[in-house]
Amino acid sequence: MIQFDDVGFRYRRGPEVLQNVDLEIPAGSFQFITGESGAGKSSLLRLLYLDAVPTAGRISLFGRDVTTLTRDEIAWFRRRIGVVFQDFRLLDHLSAAENVALPLTVAGARESAYRDNVTEMLQWVGLGDKMEVRPPELSGGEKQRVAIARAVVASPDIILADEPTGSVDPAMAERIMALFVEMNRLGKTVLFASHDLAMIEQYKLPINVLRGGTVATGTGKKGRAA
Amino acid sequence: MSAIRSKGALIPFQASSGGLMLLIVAAMAFLACFALAGALATTRIAATWTDGLAGAATVRVDASQDDRARRISLVLDILRDTDGIADARALSERDVADLLTPWFGGTPDLGELPAPGIVAVTLDPLEEPDPSVVQARLDGASAGAVYDDHGRWRNRAARAANAIGNLSWWALGLTIAAVAGAVFLVVSIAMSAHRGTIEALRLAGAEDRFVANLYQSRFFWLGALGGLIGSSLAFGAFLGLETLASVRAALPMIDAPYYWPLAWIGVVVACGAIALLAARLAVLAALRHRG
Repeated sequence: MIQFDDVGFRYRRGPEVLQNVDLEIPAGSFQFITGESGAGKSSLLRLLYLDAVPTAGRISLFGRDVTTLTRDEIAWFRRRIGVVFQDFRLLDHLSAAENVALPLTVAGARESAYRDNVTEMLQWVGLGDKMEVRPPELSGGEKQRVAIARAVVASPDIILADEPTGSVDPAMAERIMALFVEMNRLGKTVLFASHDLAMIEQYKLPINVLRGGTVATGTGKKGRAA
Repeated sequence: MSAIRSKGALIPFQASSGGLMLLIVAAMAFLACFALAGALATTRIAATWTDGLAGAATVRVDASQDDRARRISLVLDILRDTDGIADARALSERDVADLLTPWFGGTPDLGELPAPGIVAVTLDPLEEPDPSVVQARLDGASAGAVYDDHGRWRNRAARAANAIGNLSWWALGLTIAAVAGAVFLVVSIAMSAHRGTIEALRLAGAEDRFVANLYQSRFFWLGALGGLIGSSLAFGAFLGLETLASVRAALPMIDAPYYWPLAWIGVVVACGAIALLAARLAVLAALRHRG
């Protein structure tokens, strides 16, 4: 599903953030990406949600070379990818339900068709009673759960998470992790970036360590969450 | 569930930029109405002038008082025998004095003035004569007369009116360009302010045209509302100001009342359409610039 072949990436004329990255993420898998701050975790995810193109090598996504995609194709591919960020990136002028409905709205779905789906998603993340509340009135953990609901509401094939537990307390981090594990159990491919090695080592799942722009792969301690 | 509004709510509304947009479009629509009225009026004035002068000519007979009657009679004979001339009539001294009155501020005494004799000529509208042929015939008879078919005046009047008309069309074009430019600028600024929203939409899979539609529909209504306000003020001025009576008389829309709602709707729709197109171009340009 996701294949990196000798991928390199740099911002404009800056130093290489990623170099010679080879990575294969099969459909339905759950993998972690870790590394120190600035190691290139977010850059690697940016390449995957098509916000940047590699400066070297080749990335294959759903069987297509990402550098050959047109603007419309990029939009359609993004509908198959759900992204969760550490800073949530919710829209403050929209309600929680409207934020969750965003991927369905941009896909042209009618509100009557997805209303129940949005309600179900917010209930799944434990926010069924906060549908009309706007993000500024939500706690950090609640915002992150709205962001997770938004990432999965359109039933994407891939879920990318960029430090989603970085802004919440340990108890909420555990709860958020459980949501991702459940999504993986439902068949979604999950790529989870975090610098918290202690947390991710609890799971016996593939861990891709980014160091000096390159990737080394290992496995955590705990058994597969599924 | 009332928690989900229409997709128009995806872009936050900024009252300041919306108000600024309304003001700009209303002002430009007001000016555009005057430019349009100027263009229509001058076109009509030019047609009136040229139509009024067409079909007539004048022969000036330069002769002393003693010989004038004989020469005018000779000219009349020649003219009446010329193809393409329907009628020729010598103006009386009284008629000539009346023509000169505006320049002298009172009825002049023609006995003291070297005023020429004037022959008014009516041309056959189906077959106007060649002025050079008529002049040659008058010269051949040594009538001392000058034939003037008003062509010089007609051309000057038409050129002047057309020049003013063209300026009005240019003014209208500049006004449209100014509206489009202002919308482009306001949308570009709004997109910078909405950067986070647009990024969220794109990450959610929004195509460029989806984002463009959000802005263009909003700016269409802002443009149309601005057009309605500006054109209402302009049309109110046309109808209300007595000092514009001559302009009003020249405007075809005044003569034909059914033009009013059509023109009004036309200006409103045009303002909306210009705002829509400019907004779409601004959004697509900004999105492509961001990559």
